[in-house]
Amino acid sequence: MRICLLVTVATLAVARDSARAQDVSIMAQAIPLVTRADPTATRRALTEGYVTQPIVMTHASRGWLRGISTLNFEGLTIDRGELSTGGYGEGYVDRRHPHAYVHELLAGAESSVGGVRASLFAGRGFAPFGSDDPMARPFEKYPVNHHLAQVLERVVAVGAIRYGPVIGELGTFNGDEPIGPGSSPAFDRFGDSWSSRLTLLPLSDAEVSASYASVTSPEVHVGHGLDQRKASVVARFSRATATTWHYALLEWARTDERDKGSLATRLTSLLGEGAVCARGVVAGGRIERTDRPEEEPSLDPFRTPRPASDLANLGVSRWTTITASISAPRVQQGIVSGRPFIEVARISTAPGTPPGIFDAVLRYGTRRMWMYSAGIRLRAGSMHDRMGRYGAALPPMTMGDVGTHSGNRESERMPPMADMPSTRESQMAHHASASRCSL
Amino acid sequence: MQLVVNRRFAAGALAVAFGLTACGLTACGGDSPSSPGKTDTTGLAPASCPGVNLGPKPATLSLAQSTPATLQVLGGGAETARYTAEIAVRGQIAYTTTWGTRSAIGNKINVWDVSGNTPTLLDSVIVSGASTLGDVAVSDDGSLLVVATEFSGGSIVIFDLADPKHPRLLSRFTNSDTDPGVHTAEIGRVNGKLYGFLSIDPLGNLSHARLVIVDLSTPTAPRAVFTKVTGNPFVHDTFIRDGLLFVALWDDGMEIWDVGGCGSGASPAAPRVLGGVKTLNGHVHNIWWYHDPNGSKRFAFVGEEGSGTIGSTSRGDIHVVDISDPAAPKEVAFYRVTGAGTHNFSVDEANGVLYAAYYNGGVRAIDVRGDLGTCPASQQVIDGSTNLARCDLRLMGRELGIGLTELNRTIYIWGVQYLNGAVYASDMVNGIWKLTAAK
Repeated sequence: MRICLLVTVATLAVARDSARAQDVSIMAQAIPLVTRADPTATRRALTEGYVTQPIVMTHASRGWLRGISTLNFEGLTIDRGELSTGGYGEGYVDRRHPHAYVHELLAGAESSVGGVRASLFAGRGFAPFGSDDPMARPFEKYPVNHHLAQVLERVVAVGAIRYGPVIGELGTFNGDEPIGPGSSPAFDRFGDSWSSRLTLLPLSDAEVSASYASVTSPEVHVGHGLDQRKASVVARFSRATATTWHYALLEWARTDERDKGSLATRLTSLLGEGAVCARGVVAGGRIERTDRPEEEPSLDPFRTPRPASDLANLGVSRWTTITASISAPRVQQGIVSGRPFIEVARISTAPGTPPGIFDAVLRYGTRRMWMYSAGIRLRAGSMHDRMGRYGAALPPMTMGDVGTHSGNRESERMPPMADMPSTRESQMAHHASASRCSL
Repeated sequence: MQLVVNRRFAAGALAVAFGLTACGLTACGGDSPSSPGKTDTTGLAPASCPGVNLGPKPATLSLAQSTPATLQVLGGGAETARYTAEIAVRGQIAYTTTWGTRSAIGNKINVWDVSGNTPTLLDSVIVSGASTLGDVAVSDDGSLLVVATEFSGGSIVIFDLADPKHPRLLSRFTNSDTDPGVHTAEIGRVNGKLYGFLSIDPLGNLSHARLVIVDLSTPTAPRAVFTKVTGNPFVHDTFIRDGLLFVALWDDGMEIWDVGGCGSGASPAAPRVLGGVKTLNGHVHNIWWYHDPNGSKRFAFVGEEGSGTIGSTSRGDIHVVDISDPAAPKEVAFYRVTGAGTHNFSVDEANGVLYAAYYNGGVRAIDVRGDLGTCPASQQVIDGSTNLARCDLRLMGRELGIGLTELNRTIYIWGVQYLNGAVYASDMVNGIWKLTAAK
């Protein structure tokens, strides 16, 4: 896997060098991982290993034109899903589903006029809603609320305007979520859903955002499934120096599933997470309480039919997960860096509202579970500062080399996008800092 | 099951006579009439289907409002390891299927002795390669038991009932068109030949819901004769009678197909769509074409299966459709239970009583004699979005009885069958109940 990544990066680097080096930024990542879930849906402990989050990200710019792509190869490495007790979505349960091969592929334009910065992006990617994608946050395991707190892998058109400390975004997209890594979006449904997000930047390194989304029939590709009305409020803080990093995020998210306009199920999530870094060691903690709709499983207890055969569920379960993570200082080998980490999660579940017939003891044999993970975050190149925002929606950063943003030598060889103040500021800071804290 | 009337074919007429006799001697099982009703030779022969006589216009009844009676519970048979699904009763034997995953998966057919007040378990049969057995039907001659399987690679499993207490596996039918699951399988004769009508679940974004018709005349070697992509997004059930097939197409409403009853040359291998109606709210799940004791066959009852949480909530009305013109059926009345939704039906046609499984609302008995589409304005409700005026069966004083809600326990009634003065109900949570019929 590592060799493949190097080849991929090298190949892209050649292409970059033959074009305009200052306009292209490339990153490749993969996480060899072992997870033990004790117990899980089989009512016993399972230990599995795989390569998760194998991605290649590319940013390119020329003048005011922008290009973004993220290729995700989880369909090849975790087709059965990654053990993630409590996780659900896209036909997987207690396993995180593989993401689409084309995770992001967008073209856009960005420019400033009289202190107003504006951008317009179109392609496949994130709708302007909720918080950053979990892949760009300090933990390897996704929170249970992924499908309540982000809307992604849609055919989107997203406009954003930033003026001073205020960012406004509006997007339209197709409501259907992917059926599988290689599935095609329902292009004819483009425009049946929309979302908007308002972000305030009251302090340096801090932001508060509120967003709303109307998503049509996300779980039935041809339409006529339950619609969703989603709301989210997020407060985020991230401050880095050359040797330290402090990060915190508080999130409230709610999804109302609606049947022809009437409320069918209400799902709510409350999440707080934070991380600190000193001497290259990153320690993080997360606590989350999220409602999960229970569905009829197929013969494989980790899968549910997609689409379901009707609009009913088995009840709502309420998941409380406490996660602790610590990672050793990054080690560098050529253009590849590696950061070993371990994560431990204590998980408990209780009946939600309505409880239905779901019984955690019947499914797991207990209401309390553990999950242990160990892995190494391999990376070459510079990751997006954020995932889920485009162009003018990216807040300026006073110190960019934070979180998942790499500060290794490879990123110095792969300069950031030119003429993009939102990222240029961060990249400049990033290069100046050469932080030991990037994940 | 009722046989087809096709006056063009002497063989068909003989089959009808034989079938009526058979049904009269031993009541039919599954979603089939409990009584054949009187043969009617006068009345309406619609131009779109001259082969079927819809009988005289039913009389207008004026009923006094009264408090619905309690359908007395005679006894219950417990199934606590699995969730119970559909029920079919013939003679002294009831067959119930199982669904989803409880402490065990829903792959078992229970055989009950219902000769006494309390059903007692006689035998059970495990069906391999299935996580849900969502439907069960007994052939009109009592020789066959047909069970539908879901998730994944759906099928129908056919059992020999030479010994009704101990079904013996005869064959299993599956092909690429039955994937990922057969949601329901109704059986009935057309021109003397037994067919199965299979409603197939949709699969991902590659395959829409389908209806598959299978020739069961050689039960050891079932043979598909017709497949059609239909339903939006689901096709959940069918009702076959007199050569007309009523198809429940969810948000595309109800369609009436000529499969041999109209004398047009159509057949199960080459059906002809006569017409359809989109009932209010869509979600068309199941249908019963009612033949009243006076020979009138003007009304079909349509079950709306809205969203719900199994064991807790449900929603969905019974819609009454006037099919006097099968090419243009129209909705004329409805029945609503606040806080609960309907599922499967059984009709005591001799006495004009519709029994409806109502999930958390128990069992409902409704007087369906006479003209259901004519009522004074005080008994009408006008839909705000369509301006459709419909008679409210409750306001018409037609609510006769309620069963099982008086029990101080969680119930969730999937199916119901009237037979010989008793009502049998399958309860997802508890098993099987036997109740007195409405007076």
